[in-house]
Amino acid sequence: MNIREIAAKCSRCGYCTTCPTYRIEGWETVSPRGKIQLTLKYLNGEINVDQKVVKDIFKCSVCGLCQEVCPVELPLIDFWEELRRELVQKGMAPLSVHRKLREITFRNYNPYSGDQERRGEWADFEIKPAKTLYFAGCTASFKLQNLAKSTASVLNKLGIDFTIAGKNEYCCGSPFLRTGQKDIVERLFEKNYRYWQKAGIERVITSCPGCYRTISLDYPRIAEEKGYEFDIEVVHTVSILDKMGVFERVNITAKATYHDPCHLGRHMGMYEEPRNVIRKLGIDFVEMERNREQALCCGAGGGLRSQFPEISFEIGRQRVIEAMETGAEYLITCCPFCEYHLSKSAEKLGNKIKVVDLVEIAERLISP
Amino acid sequence: MDSLVLELSHLIKRVDAHPLQMSLYSQDLLKIPKFLERFIRYPICVVQPESDKEVKAVLKVSRKYKVPVVPRGAATSAYGGAVTIKPCIVVDLTRMRKIEIIGKKAVVESGAVWLDVENELNKQGLALRVYPSSAPAGTVGGWIAQGGYGIGSLKYGSVGENIEWLEVADFDGIKKVEGDELRNYVGLFGTTGVILRACLKLRDNARIDSVAIKTEFEKSIDLLDGAYHGAFIDLKLAKMLGFNEANLLLLSYEGEAEKERDRELGSIMWENRFNLFRAGRDREIIFTEAVLPYETAPDFFSKVEFPVEAVFTKDNVVFLGLIPVDNYYRAAMKAIKFVKIAERLGGRTYATGMLFPHKGLADFAKEYKKTVDPESLLNPGKAVENNSFSRMIKLTEMVL
Repeated sequence: MNIREIAAKCSRCGYCTTCPTYRIEGWETVSPRGKIQLTLKYLNGEINVDQKVVKDIFKCSVCGLCQEVCPVELPLIDFWEELRRELVQKGMAPLSVHRKLREITFRNYNPYSGDQERRGEWADFEIKPAKTLYFAGCTASFKLQNLAKSTASVLNKLGIDFTIAGKNEYCCGSPFLRTGQKDIVERLFEKNYRYWQKAGIERVITSCPGCYRTISLDYPRIAEEKGYEFDIEVVHTVSILDKMGVFERVNITAKATYHDPCHLGRHMGMYEEPRNVIRKLGIDFVEMERNREQALCCGAGGGLRSQFPEISFEIGRQRVIEAMETGAEYLITCCPFCEYHLSKSAEKLGNKIKVVDLVEIAERLISP
Repeated sequence: MDSLVLELSHLIKRVDAHPLQMSLYSQDLLKIPKFLERFIRYPICVVQPESDKEVKAVLKVSRKYKVPVVPRGAATSAYGGAVTIKPCIVVDLTRMRKIEIIGKKAVVESGAVWLDVENELNKQGLALRVYPSSAPAGTVGGWIAQGGYGIGSLKYGSVGENIEWLEVADFDGIKKVEGDELRNYVGLFGTTGVILRACLKLRDNARIDSVAIKTEFEKSIDLLDGAYHGAFIDLKLAKMLGFNEANLLLLSYEGEAEKERDRELGSIMWENRFNLFRAGRDREIIFTEAVLPYETAPDFFSKVEFPVEAVFTKDNVVFLGLIPVDNYYRAAMKAIKFVKIAERLGGRTYATGMLFPHKGLADFAKEYKKTVDPESLLNPGKAVENNSFSRMIKLTEMVL
């Protein structure tokens, strides 16, 4: 289905008004239902959209909750991404900050302005060639290096022969796919793909759900468009921990809850693996009210945090409060971007709950 | 009308007059074909009051400028109650959504979503007696303004029967209404006042246990005793919803199910009680509804040719027809004919809204409307007043 066909099938039932951004903003132009109706009119040539509406279309973290609750089962994640691409093609987007991030990434190959030459500096071990690549991603490479180190340590402890690409690892392109800027993604894909081919990579392990979704779902599509073969297995670290991890059981009584990252959960359907690992670790675990398919987004994805920080942090605040209401002292997640954003949100609420990545806990307790 | 918007902007925090916003706030779930869109008028602006004070301010401006107000919840009704047919101020009440639980009653603001209310109540060991099948989106004020039946109506009756009192705003201020007075507001689509909050009757949150029974419609009626909720779907609809292609009766009980039937399917059907829209996955459908007495319901059922759900209530049976759309006008004709057949069998349309004010369901409130809204500024052309759409439907009914 193309976006016109998807829009035409919308029943306007309003179930998608559970959208976290709409719940904050409150106007129909921000609701998935409203955006879909305007898209249909726009594609039918009945209206012209202006910058206000374009901005409202981008007030969305592409968390996929609308797709989850849609009774007509519209593929809305694809819809938002395609719509954003259309707006970029027509010159109505990207929005200012998204454009800026694209410019930065064109120069630096990451959106954090990190020095590409120093991308692999977090690695405190000797890098040897291998057929399995640990793709750390931009956030773990430049912002949360402990996660990159913990992941590498876990892989070592599990006896997995792996390598890293260091300065030859480039942003996967996830932030740009979510914001309609496909041209730069193609460039980043080329850079990564060519290096992987040259290095003989057969398997990519990621600790970032955004990278995981992009490399496993979007890269094969791009490769197909370009006429390339894409025969690379893509795995998220949590799957490896679930399948291979044997742990010493944790001996603290602190309670913990788990936040489902949208790119791992609703985008990729991975809900039970992290919970299995949490159980294996013997953590006193409690679910949040909204979990798995119904989980509330952290608020950071889809370019929301960069362009609309006030909305993004309000969603983050709501999620941290929901976690605190469980009585948990730890909020575990499996995504560096969620961890980064929820930590900042928790900080604003007085650091009453500590946000941690599951890999970092597992690394400490994994049996050598 | 710039001065009106300006004045509202000084009085109310949330006001918008963007033309594309107005296009979205001009319609609700009702699908309006292109040639009838000429009868729609875009609102002048939309306001989202967050307090009683702000609602009163809107009404004051409405009266000053003689510009109507159209109250709006989630716009999930297909009767056009929230469609704007005159230049107006849309009063979107979704920002008023506080939920207060007092003992075994809940005082809930108009814009609260039914499923949110239910979730909050469940945390306190309580539950709603009745709620609409649109509960994931539908608002408390919206359903009360439409009136009618839903989940739980087999045991507890209509929404109106489960309200202790309402607080409503009109041009004289805010008033609390209860008892017989409620009928001047429930099902009146906001034509007599803006519903601000409702005190809802509740039940203990006893676990709902459901069973499914393969049976014919006529036999279903004899199986309803003791159930909290009962709904029948015919085999065509069952297939569209992804169940077995069979006539299916869902019976749900507060506590242990009294009948030993298919619990697994019953549980799945109960979990999917909000998902009737799923029937529209593969092709477009339009909905039509009618209320029948139990005595003639089997006869009515035998005359319906398209997929249908029947929701059993304390007093009658509500039929929901799902008409596949090949040609919109033919489908609309079938929808109107559905109601007409029901009327011949002693039934009636389910609600009035913009489509059926001529049916006279709310005629009892015409005098009351004149006393509280002499200039007809509260959702004009709905429930108790005719409009271009209802006149066309009336003409169509004559030729059917």
